[in-house]
Amino acid sequence: MNPHGTLGARGAGPAAESEGTVGRPLSVRRRKVVTLDDAVRLVEDGATVGLGGWIFYNTPMALVRALARAGRRDLTLVPAPGSIGPDLLIGAGSVSRVFCVFITFEHLGFAPNFRRRSESGALQVLEMDGPGLAAGLRAAADGLPYVPIFDVGTDLPRVNPEWYRPLPAVDGRRLLAVPPIRLDVVLVHAQQADEYGNAQLLGGAFFDPLLAMAARRVVVSVDRLVPTRTIRRVPERTKLPSYLVTAVVECPRGAHPTGSHTLYDPDEGHLRAYVEAGTRPDAYEKYLDRYVRVGEERYRELVRRGARRARTGCEGDER
Amino acid sequence: MNAASTWTTAELQAIILARELADGEVGIVGTASDVQVAACNLARAMHAPSLSWVSGPLGTVNADAGALLPTADARLIRHAEAVVDLSVMIDVIDWRPGFFDFAILGAMQVDRHGNLNTVVIGDHARPKVRGPGVIGTSPLAAFAKHFFVLLARHDRQNLVERVDFISAVGHYRGGSSRASELGLETEGPRLVVTPLAVLDFHPVTRSMQLRSVHPGVSVAEVVARTGFVLDVPPDVATTPPPTVRELAVLRRCVDRTGILRRGRSDTRSQRLGDRPARPMSAGTTHTRTKPCRT
Repeated sequence: MNPHGTLGARGAGPAAESEGTVGRPLSVRRRKVVTLDDAVRLVEDGATVGLGGWIFYNTPMALVRALARAGRRDLTLVPAPGSIGPDLLIGAGSVSRVFCVFITFEHLGFAPNFRRRSESGALQVLEMDGPGLAAGLRAAADGLPYVPIFDVGTDLPRVNPEWYRPLPAVDGRRLLAVPPIRLDVVLVHAQQADEYGNAQLLGGAFFDPLLAMAARRVVVSVDRLVPTRTIRRVPERTKLPSYLVTAVVECPRGAHPTGSHTLYDPDEGHLRAYVEAGTRPDAYEKYLDRYVRVGEERYRELVRRGARRARTGCEGDER
Repeated sequence: MNAASTWTTAELQAIILARELADGEVGIVGTASDVQVAACNLARAMHAPSLSWVSGPLGTVNADAGALLPTADARLIRHAEAVVDLSVMIDVIDWRPGFFDFAILGAMQVDRHGNLNTVVIGDHARPKVRGPGVIGTSPLAAFAKHFFVLLARHDRQNLVERVDFISAVGHYRGGSSRASELGLETEGPRLVVTPLAVLDFHPVTRSMQLRSVHPGVSVAEVVARTGFVLDVPPDVATTPPPTVRELAVLRRCVDRTGILRRGRSDTRSQRLGDRPARPMSAGTTHTRTKPCRT
């Protein structure tokens, strides 16, 4: 039994076509395509949730919005370096602890909700650096009790002693042990997948494969579902093979307002407006009303309209 | 040397850094790094054709689009000579001592001994300002053979006596403490490049000292805008201004869409160092890089 599989086939797609060279299969391969609502049911209150992508790219935003809309609570978030992905969930009140390796809007400013809730003490921040996150995920992926890293003289062990534990020095080198960061579920965004969950990243992979290896369930949003023969044309792009993937959700522009590699750029106008709204709780509530609570269909419509307005030269940065 | 007449702070910083990069070195550039990328590609175009630089997020090597793109933008892949996935690159970013020759790191705070802080201003449990976090700066500061610090501002808030949180270690407590207390064999921070000046470290005390002031900036101004007592040697030079050739190569071959040129270029705003914002979709329409002639 597949330890990653928790769902039966849902939302049946087209009848199974002949795949590869096996010819007609004797039984039917499991399909993993689910609806956004079904995907969100794979994330329980109190779960430890990984988020893939990188700051302004490949962030599973449709899934993030759906989690916020569903009112998930008490999550422990383990985001790859991120911006609106972790910040939106934090701002929606879904997160009680966050493993922070890097949360920022780069030149657009600090992450507003992450900042406010950290400064007020409402959010527990487990401070990590790149080696800490990588070691914790590898320990989880490899089934090891810990993975050693070098102690490089930072204040991290002081503020996060549970995840940076001293080890005996070896050859004069000071070492730390990082215990496994086990993810109940990881949310990632890929450009395309087939109905069996072979998910392809057409640009960078970032931490997504490592996050997936460290997770019990892997939920992938994709901009488009494609036939398996399309996947087989460039199998080296399948960074998340079917056997790792629990569920796939088709979400066109599902990374928006972050970019999706090779398909669309980050929407800087939207991100900028988000940062501005996020600095004031009342304005942020309006943002959630307007873009999150309305549902994904409506969100897509708003984004399309915004893009059209930008093309006709009225406002916005999207080309 | 033929000096150019006008430039922006970002251009000057890229040129200063490029001069410091040697042929054959291997360096790494993080996220949000326009000036760093410009420095690497300018060095490759000028005096260091065998230099290699890696984009931390994407793993591209020597991506050279002729225009500056974000280091996590997939377009870089088409302009690179290699792409190594992050799950492989973390072995040398996060673990292996001495793999990279140099890194170029930014910070919210830098202290007298070149320690960096990107985490919090104030107490970690209840910070006054919550910053972005550490990412890969901690192992790179420890294990790159040396590193540079690049600051977009120079004031008493970001150049401080002691950082509130050590997120990446510099010369630690000064003197030989980096080696003797932490066991680090690498050089540590070599230069700090700000919008006002270039700073380096006293060979014995490892305290920051003024190496040169940028054209149009006075020593007194740098001292006044530094949050600790800066060592000022008797003969502080002026930072050599960009040459006509450096600026031409930068603008024609490295930063054709003018990411570093944006923002006002009058002397005052140069000195205040307002880094121009980059539109994230800039440079999307260019075609393949042609061999660069200047």
